[in-house]
Amino acid sequence: MNEKEFGAKLKPWLDRSAAQVGELQATRLKAARLKALDAYREPASFGGLVGLNGLLGATRHTLLQRVLMVLPLIALVATLAVRSLNEDVDLGELDAQLLSQELPPDAFIDQDFRSWLGKSHS
Amino acid sequence: MARQIAQLIAVLAAALMLGSAVARDRDLKTPQTPWHQVPREQQRALQPVAPEWDRMPGYQQQRLMGAARKYPEMQPIQKERFEARLKDWAAMSPDQRRAARETFQGLRKLPPEKQHELRERWIQQHGGEDVGAPRSRGPSTPDYSRAPPR
Repeated sequence: MNEKEFGAKLKPWLDRSAAQVGELQATRLKAARLKALDAYREPASFGGLVGLNGLLGATRHTLLQRVLMVLPLIALVATLAVRSLNEDVDLGELDAQLLSQELPPDAFIDQDFRSWLGKSHS
Repeated sequence: MARQIAQLIAVLAAALMLGSAVARDRDLKTPQTPWHQVPREQQRALQPVAPEWDRMPGYQQQRLMGAARKYPEMQPIQKERFEARLKDWAAMSPDQRRAARETFQGLRKLPPEKQHELRERWIQQHGGEDVGAPRSRGPSTPDYSRAPPR
């Protein structure tokens, strides 16, 4: 897997969650990024080609510098993970809708109903 | 190069696992809310589960309170359904509730006419019984001793 392929795989994850990042978190991420950029030194470059290897693998970067470079990414992924698992963002509201609409909750755990629904989606 | 990518993937996986663990831990640590501390308006909506309230885990109480917050905005028929179904809903296992939510969300993604068709089909198959009231599904007193998150 080359950098482009890896980037293409990672991009949807980052795009999906970027919109959900709050202002405070965005500011923190920006600050961490700027800090990482300050600590960044130009890696070895041959004919203008600089790779991920140059960014993370250069031996002249200390462990702390490397951590700072990936910190924004870690923060972003952790935020996303917490948010996605946090779907009780408003589970209460969802439950209220579920309990007050036409069908009883039993319908939604009924195997027949779930199978019809599956077919309707396919 | 491959080593760096592997390291990055490991970091991403660790961050995801951390997020997941934090959410689970938070669920289990949610403190219980004594019945007398539940706002009066919500107590009205949650009356059907009042006898079991103090035995429910904190995260379930919070979610029921979240649902009860919407009660004042409901139409009379919706309030009636909510009250009639609440006890059985609270008695479902966390897995059943999660499955029901997923199915309900799946239904809402369908076009309205398709949703209507599925509702009608289910109602017909269940003999036009009163869909406002829950059907009996075994014991109505839940076992709160085993309470996985959600």
